[in-house]
Amino acid sequence: MDNADTAIASAPLPTPKTVRGRTNLPVQAWRFVAINLRMIKIIRKGHA
Amino acid sequence: MARVVILGAGISGHTAALHLRRMLGKEHEVVVVSPNSRWNWIPSNIWVGVGKMTSEQVTFPLAPIYQRKGIEFHQALAVAIHPEGGAGQPGPYVAVSYTDPTRAGQAAELGYDYLINATGPKLNFAATPGLGPDGHTVSVCTPSHAVEAASALEQVIKRLGSGERQTLVVGVGHGTCTCEGAAFEYAFNVEHELREAGVRDLAEVVYITNENELGDFGVGGMTFTQRGFQTTSKMWTESLFRERGVRAIVQAHVSQIKPGLIHYEQLDGSTNTLAFDFAMLLPPFRGADLKAYDALGDDITSTLFAPSGFMKVDADYTAKPFADWRAADWPSTYQNPSYSNVFGVGIAFAPPHQISEPRTSPNGTLVAPSPPRTGMPSGIMGRTVARTIADRVNGSATAPAHTASMAAMGAACVASAGTGVRKGTAAAMTMFPVVPDYQKYPGTGRNTKDTYGEIGLAGHWVKVLLHHLFIYKAKARPGWFLIPE
Repeated sequence: MDNADTAIASAPLPTPKTVRGRTNLPVQAWRFVAINLRMIKIIRKGHA
Repeated sequence: MARVVILGAGISGHTAALHLRRMLGKEHEVVVVSPNSRWNWIPSNIWVGVGKMTSEQVTFPLAPIYQRKGIEFHQALAVAIHPEGGAGQPGPYVAVSYTDPTRAGQAAELGYDYLINATGPKLNFAATPGLGPDGHTVSVCTPSHAVEAASALEQVIKRLGSGERQTLVVGVGHGTCTCEGAAFEYAFNVEHELREAGVRDLAEVVYITNENELGDFGVGGMTFTQRGFQTTSKMWTESLFRERGVRAIVQAHVSQIKPGLIHYEQLDGSTNTLAFDFAMLLPPFRGADLKAYDALGDDITSTLFAPSGFMKVDADYTAKPFADWRAADWPSTYQNPSYSNVFGVGIAFAPPHQISEPRTSPNGTLVAPSPPRTGMPSGIMGRTVARTIADRVNGSATAPAHTASMAAMGAACVASAGTGVRKGTAAAMTMFPVVPDYQKYPGTGRNTKDTYGEIGLAGHWVKVLLHHLFIYKAKARPGWFLIPE
């Protein structure tokens, strides 16, 4: 087993609730807004 | 009247051209030279590579846009820069060779007052024997490459469907590659397609990379603050690999590809092979094969360009140990130090050093991800240089240059991990700044409030939104300039 595979094997797995949340429409609709706000902040800093 | 010539019509060159046309009066000329007739939104090529988009969806013809905007377009390859003019040409000019089918191979000399080199990368498949579409692997670097990759993937899925085990390898094909993020995206899109096709159980997906550890992405990794803890892009990425059952080989320099077999060396000096049925490996980049000559016709290529072929700009290129590298080494005006009317932007400028620590194996093999300088930073550089030139044309020729250092600019990256309106996922990441500044941000080198990542369907929607938004902007539709780079 490669050293990276050893690290992967001991990496934390998301809980079923977290995995479901990643495709839950109301949760993701909110995250869509939140990600865009974060990106707008970075964009504004880059265009200062 | 001033004449600005822009070499290249990718993200940085096209952005510079459109802004210059907006900022300069009609008496001034904006000229674009590109060997390609079509503009390409490269971040979506990975979706062409899994058959979810056509090449027409990620490209459009440049000529009609330039005609509408009053930009002179030459479909040609820039061959040489003559910054001091030459025999019969008193002013600076660029020698070009047309790729336009109607006058293919014809030569011309295009004079300029200001020159922007935005030629992007030369895809250096030749660096690794057997690498690339002319060898034994596929690529997603261009739309046509991505179409070939999709076709090869379809064949693999058919074989899996008939019960045959297959190994799919995705990654980078040399120790000095960049764009690990694109390889990561393609690996997880392939994995997603295998699951969608119901054949995942018979497929082994392997990611091979020159990164020192997963999550490095050529930017030395990132540290995020989440739920009161500092976590790393390494742990975050390894978690995704475990969840999706993707194997990884890190610290690898791919040295040769034979039919169905990848030869690679790792940082510990070991040499190994990996058998494959399908392999998409990105090539390392070089600068475009541009030469430069002075007024007497003497070769001054090494004055304008680094040995890598990338253009020298206002960076500190002094050789020094990794620990001595500073954020201030990075360029901010992208102006060539020898010729103040020549600029290099996007991938075309020579970075002063890597962002990820370069390492060498006991055999002397360099394993060093090259710094990414695509997407948002490329667009910002193009606009910044356009503003500098516009100030100098409209006002004083000695007007100070505008600045945009990658050590003082952030980046927003969305790495797709599978497509689909309801089932897609992507890792949405922001980092500030792109080049860590350990003097300003001790510890991680970046502002931890602005360095962030999360995985989910929303990230996929953002990537789709960016696809449409940037194609709209590149087509110079009404209000295009209100969309930031």
